[in-house]
Amino acid sequence: MSDKEYSNFGRRQFLARAGKAGIAIAGCGIASYLLYDPTGPRPGVKVEDLVTLADFSVPHKTGQTMSIVQGSDRAKTVDKAIESLGGIERFVKPGDTVAIKPNVAFATPAMLGATAHPQLVAEMVRLCYKGGATKVIVTDNPINDPTSCFTLSGVGKAASQAGAEVVLPKTHLFKYTTLTDGRLIRNWPIFYGPFYKADKLIGISPIKHHHRAGASMSMKNWYGLLGGRRNVFHQDINTIIAELAMMVKPTLVILDGTEVMMTNGPTGGSVSDLKRANTLIASTDCVAADSYGCGLLNLNISDLPYLAKAEKAKAGTNNYKSLNPIFATVS
Amino acid sequence: MDSVPGRARHLEYAVSICLLAVIFLIGIGVFIKQSDYDMSRFGISATPIELPSQPLVLTREKKPVLVSLKPRGFDSLSETEVYESENLYEKINGKAPLYIDSGFVKLFTQRFISESDEDLWMELLVYDMATTKNAFSVYSVQRRADADILSLFHPSNAYRTSNALYFIHGKYYIELIGSSESGELSKAIIAAAQNIQASLVVDKIVAIPELSLFPQENLVPGSAKLYLANAFGFEGLFDTFTAQYKIDGETIMAFLSKRAGITEAKTIAGDYRKFLIENGAIPKKAIDQSLEGKTFDFYGTTEIVFSVGPFVAGIHEAENQQTAEKAARLLANKFRMFTEAVSDE
Repeated sequence: MSDKEYSNFGRRQFLARAGKAGIAIAGCGIASYLLYDPTGPRPGVKVEDLVTLADFSVPHKTGQTMSIVQGSDRAKTVDKAIESLGGIERFVKPGDTVAIKPNVAFATPAMLGATAHPQLVAEMVRLCYKGGATKVIVTDNPINDPTSCFTLSGVGKAASQAGAEVVLPKTHLFKYTTLTDGRLIRNWPIFYGPFYKADKLIGISPIKHHHRAGASMSMKNWYGLLGGRRNVFHQDINTIIAELAMMVKPTLVILDGTEVMMTNGPTGGSVSDLKRANTLIASTDCVAADSYGCGLLNLNISDLPYLAKAEKAKAGTNNYKSLNPIFATVS
Repeated sequence: MDSVPGRARHLEYAVSICLLAVIFLIGIGVFIKQSDYDMSRFGISATPIELPSQPLVLTREKKPVLVSLKPRGFDSLSETEVYESENLYEKINGKAPLYIDSGFVKLFTQRFISESDEDLWMELLVYDMATTKNAFSVYSVQRRADADILSLFHPSNAYRTSNALYFIHGKYYIELIGSSESGELSKAIIAAAQNIQASLVVDKIVAIPELSLFPQENLVPGSAKLYLANAFGFEGLFDTFTAQYKIDGETIMAFLSKRAGITEAKTIAGDYRKFLIENGAIPKKAIDQSLEGKTFDFYGTTEIVFSVGPFVAGIHEAENQQTAEKAARLLANKFRMFTEAVSDE
């Protein structure tokens, strides 16, 4: 436009244009107000895309829910513990695919007791094949770099040599789940892939002091199934552990108290953090197993609020004595 | 009145509509993207992170920081990784809050492996805790019982176990964790620690003044601990040091916390006594008259709480009252000497 044209820009026209601009700004403000979401973003997961972990439990047998075996050789104690519960044939059927979920959270040597012991994992793999399994998967979703964890802990090599397939976490193996009656596990990614086609699920975990939770045992071991920024759950650690016990219905859990990490858990770092207790627990009820295990850490059941929460949610019993556990010793 | 020519006016309208359409499309795009936003998909990568442009450690060589700290005969087994408070849990999981609550800034870590034996490896963890006091806190509360206190460092805030070595160096708390208990690895770990002391530059090695306030007589070496908050479960007791004494064959835990002034120390001591009573403590007659009203029976153990000058101090969960009072007198006398010396200056 020329200067002349600008000079003809009148008051009425200016007011009209200013009015339109004002309406546009006000419109934007109203639209922003209407679109404002004070609760923040929510996961964009469709209900039909949510998955649910299968129930891997086996039928209950009175008097054969829990066994506690004394001994220093993990292979012998786990053999005896499973034999006491009715033998591996009770838990693994011919043709089964078995998923074993050891605690391989850290890239530390087995000697430090921060991870499941390789000897125990290997023996469990061997037992599963003995029971007729056609495939055994050993898997975890560790805190540290998965390859380093499986390599440095010795679990990867031990599992492979025993004939298991070691599955490391990959993005496509995670699916979203929502726990019915859960408060924290809602639209949350879990490590689902390795368990999708499994018939049985066995957890293997050491008994450890845990700075945040008090203790890390069978129930806490399922924390490895959580994906995403799972550390947010540390703010409500007792609830998340109880919800994990509600979400996962394993065939069997093996709780290793051969050497117990008494302090500086869950990472430890020094051999002096460990105390030899020479005890191994096998149970179909992980709440009961942990209720016994806490005693090896010199803790009372009431010191671990997640045990009461899990029992209240009917995930198991923390009155392990009511199960009449079978006690045995191996030399 | 409309003096803008028709052609120009139409052009203005067209341009305006195009611009508004573009803004509208951007708005729609943002709306769709935000609707699909899911925090749980955005975990922080566990892969190695690049070192900061400002090196944390100054070494003689221009090599990646931690590599230059490896002992002779060892190679790198991993790259240097750096963790901050947002992702520290990826490295140490449930122990992260212990560090974060104590002023944690960064963790630098790397593994080294023996050139001659692949079963021998160590992990070096260097925690930047911002201050020596913070570093001492995480060092002391994790200190393993019956560990060997090392005298090769000054100040001697170092100890080793059969497979590891732990020490503080300025603002850093450092762990060297070995894969086995072999003598060869143990020597390499000590060499690595000495290398770190020589190479890792810190502003100034400062002593923690409160540690010298504990009377040295009967003090168990290396037993001092620092609780930055909630000592003994009481909120008012922060920056609280504890130390163990061996008196008449019994182990006694003494504590002290330096407050801003005499009034605050008296108030905190009084509040802590109330806290003890609320939690089941029963006042009991003191053998030493000066400790009357400051001595309690707490479920069969003796608690003593008093203040001298700006110090709140006492004895925690002693099994024998007589020994507890003896230790309390030692503490009180030391504080009186200190307070008088300060007020004389």
